[in-house]
Amino acid sequence: MKITPGMPDALPPGLRNLFYGIFCWANRHPGALRAVGVMLRRWPFVAGWLGMAARASAVKAVLTRPNSFSNTAHAANLSAGDYLIGMDPGATYTADKILLDDRLAVLKATLPAAADLAVQAYVKALQPLGADKSFDLIEDYLMWIVFRAMYPLFGPATDRVAAGATGSLNDPGLQRQYLLEIRYVAGQLLAGSSATLRVQRRAELNADALKSRIAGVRTDIQNAWSLPGHNIDRNAIGLAWISHPVTVQSGALAVQELLGRPNVHKALREEARRLGDPGVWQCAKFRASVRDHVLELMRFRPIFPLLARDVPRATEFETGARHNATCPAGGKMAIWGIAALFDPEAVENSRQFCPARNWGNQADLRWMMFGYGTRQCPAMVYAVEILTSALIGLLILPELQLARGEGKAITYDGPLMSQMRVSFI
Amino acid sequence: MLEMVRQQMICIVVPGWDGTTDLSESGSVCTGLDALLKDVAVVQFASIALLPARADAKDPRPSLMLELAIEEGIAPYDIVYRLVYHPSGAMWSLYSSFWPGGGPPLQSARNDQLQGKLMEGLTIAEGGFIGARDRTARQIEKEQDLLQWTRDQARAMKAAKLYGDDRAAFALALAQRAFKNPRFDWALDPAPRSYWREKGASIGAKIGYVLALFVLWLAAVWLIGAVPRGLLGVYTWLFGAPYSGVQAVVDAVSKVSGWVLGVSIRSLFALLGLGVLAVFFLLALPAVSKSWRRWLKSVGRELDRPTETWSSWSTYWVGWIVGVPTVLAVVACALVFIFCPGTIVDAYHALTAKFLGWQIIAFIILAIVALICVFGVLSRIDQQLAAAGNWFFHPYEDDVPRAQQVDTSIDHCEGLVVRETAHMFSLTDIRSPNGWSAFWIRASLRIVTLFGRVFFTEGRLGDAPGIHFGHWHIIEKGRRYLFCSNYDGSFGGYLDDFINGATIGTTLAWRWTTLKRRGSAAIGQPAVEEPRSFPPTRFIVFRGVKCELKFKSYARDSMLPHVFRFDARKETVDGINLATSLRDALFGERNDSNDDQIMRAIES
Repeated sequence: MKITPGMPDALPPGLRNLFYGIFCWANRHPGALRAVGVMLRRWPFVAGWLGMAARASAVKAVLTRPNSFSNTAHAANLSAGDYLIGMDPGATYTADKILLDDRLAVLKATLPAAADLAVQAYVKALQPLGADKSFDLIEDYLMWIVFRAMYPLFGPATDRVAAGATGSLNDPGLQRQYLLEIRYVAGQLLAGSSATLRVQRRAELNADALKSRIAGVRTDIQNAWSLPGHNIDRNAIGLAWISHPVTVQSGALAVQELLGRPNVHKALREEARRLGDPGVWQCAKFRASVRDHVLELMRFRPIFPLLARDVPRATEFETGARHNATCPAGGKMAIWGIAALFDPEAVENSRQFCPARNWGNQADLRWMMFGYGTRQCPAMVYAVEILTSALIGLLILPELQLARGEGKAITYDGPLMSQMRVSFI
Repeated sequence: MLEMVRQQMICIVVPGWDGTTDLSESGSVCTGLDALLKDVAVVQFASIALLPARADAKDPRPSLMLELAIEEGIAPYDIVYRLVYHPSGAMWSLYSSFWPGGGPPLQSARNDQLQGKLMEGLTIAEGGFIGARDRTARQIEKEQDLLQWTRDQARAMKAAKLYGDDRAAFALALAQRAFKNPRFDWALDPAPRSYWREKGASIGAKIGYVLALFVLWLAAVWLIGAVPRGLLGVYTWLFGAPYSGVQAVVDAVSKVSGWVLGVSIRSLFALLGLGVLAVFFLLALPAVSKSWRRWLKSVGRELDRPTETWSSWSTYWVGWIVGVPTVLAVVACALVFIFCPGTIVDAYHALTAKFLGWQIIAFIILAIVALICVFGVLSRIDQQLAAAGNWFFHPYEDDVPRAQQVDTSIDHCEGLVVRETAHMFSLTDIRSPNGWSAFWIRASLRIVTLFGRVFFTEGRLGDAPGIHFGHWHIIEKGRRYLFCSNYDGSFGGYLDDFINGATIGTTLAWRWTTLKRRGSAAIGQPAVEEPRSFPPTRFIVFRGVKCELKFKSYARDSMLPHVFRFDARKETVDGINLATSLRDALFGERNDSNDDQIMRAIES
């Protein structure tokens, strides 16, 4: 029953804009979040009072207790309807997880080759651009590469999903419309309930459009997945909006971080230049190094620096202080993933950018930007593979810089980056 | 805050309509639009009309106007995007005639061009009012279902005579049945309410909100001055005096901050003082003095008098000679107090240097006595005149020069929606100079919208009930003025509600308009043969719509028929409010108030 969306604003005028503004600013400036994280780690009892987990040990402990700290905190932000990320463990969750794992398994066979091929095609198309012409890294590069790399998720139905039930399969504008549609739905997951009414409504409108789209191509998806129909809509909708936009946004954030580290960028480009064009795709060592860089860049700019969890019944959690922090039933708690990723107790020289760091017995912490424990993102390996290919492509192109002279190079849409205009030097 | 209201009511005016698209009710375009709007499910009302071109327009073809009343929070771009890019292509079917060659071959390119064209012609309301707010169309439908179900259940229970006269037991049994029905799981949550209808509903909360903003403003202004001062102090303490330029800048910033702080605080006191004066003269004095009350009422009556009489004429001119200078003097005093308080202090010192305290007090008492005497004499004259004869109050001008004729197309449209939510389009011209008039219209409409948003939160604008979405637009670069309204009841009754219930707001909204000669938009549509003017006003807000026949005839002449209509609510404002209150009562705690509400809902 679709009745929750369309809720009026119960906050005094101006307050929501203020909260949302602070939230967006903090998301765009992970350095500020890291600074707050330092304090929360230093005085964990304060974090406990505020219902926040900041130390790596505390974050891990909370994320491995999905029954006590529930993912249902995401449910309110799933404007396209319920999906795995907002569900509690149960029969539906298990069935949907199996379906998702099956769908993701097809990527194992196609990645990274499919991503490499897509990147090579876009590199070829961008190469002729001179230094004076800029392009949008998101809309002209990452968005399409991720789309092509994830093509097998919907199999033969992908083009129909992107074009809609009645649209022409050869109309790239319809595909673009689809990719924007899912971006806004995903954006709501990040923006959360603090988002302004406009952002929430836009997500709801696009979620409606996505639901109608999937309903229109249900048979195609059913045939592609060779499954009976009762779970198709929920899983297809969820898979559509969560897989693509989150990967694209992570890629944009990684490139933003890389451009802010000219020495790292230069060293990587030097290595790519030494290997040459076919070499960069064939050298496993280089690929591994770029993958490490992607992970390290994502550590500095994770797409979900903070996570929320519901507390269904009264409990406690270990903050790292002398006493555990209590969590009243029906409340919420915040997980400072970004603080955990920089916890010096767990990560040696955590403030240094060091892709080749030896993580030792904390190897699992390296992937914490994708969550932790049983609810960790099941597609994280594939996402990193795709982003690795995308980054290799950027390294063999002429050197990039944020475009100048056309207003702001990076345009934000709330906490998300909507445009990142870059040009060759 | 106001933009959120304004952007719920959109008009898209696209000029150059060539009339080749079939807009008949049963045609594919209208049925497609209907299906689209139902599917999108966030448009509560929509209608289409043809706006005739201005007499001096270069292109004599009419404009196609689409009115949309949508749910709260949706940006105009987003709703247009959703409609245009809908796979049904219904919007393209409507607007395709604007591309005589058929438009681009690719659907996405067509959509892009159409989106651009519609955004060019889109205006959000300059002002508007929403009656039953905070509800989605889906919610209204569900709550109506609940209301119907409850009435059916109540009828069955009464027939079974299970509860006799025990009202509480009856309500409890109904609530239990509703709770057990999984169809109504959604109703377990109380009906959503926005801030001004919930936490901000009380006067205390509204005052608190304004005060909080004011305090924040003061704090910000103070910080702007204090922070550089503090930093400079610390710097001086640590390293000695800085460059003289730095000191000068900090002094200037500090001085400006102090000045703004002083002006802000004095403005608050001035407002409070004006408020006290208003309360004293308009509320307290009428309560204690019968003659003042009568006099005040008589002034109001004369200024609002629809016809011109010697009494209203003399009141009007006395108002100009006495009232306006007095108000200006008070405002000038307030401004002097705000910006040059030293002048008042100097004047006070000069006064106290010249006169002793008892002399000043005696002078004030004498002035008050003199004022009372003057008003007493005026009041006596007023009564004597009333007793002397009617000639003083007799109208000396004709009210409406001709009998009102309603165009048949308007009659037809009204007939189509006779059992549904009624609808009107009114297109007028903005008085010359357009910029000046448009400025005042905008200012007035913002005030109306603000009051509607903050104070009139329960479905009535002033005393006017039954308005679903009423909105005003300034279109064609400030040349014309469009009013669209979706309301309950008949046109005559609706305007009566405005005339008697929201007099000032309505006069303010229309007084800068006129009706110029224009042709008809299409065959069978009304034209304006004779130019008309909005009824004259007194002191901007008086009279105007009180000239009932003139106003109604003016409104009638300005009306245009709709060629398409979509109504997702299909219920009156009262009906919507009733169903929502039933939901809250049925699923809320059991108490007398909720029991009453349930009984009221099932018996009305």
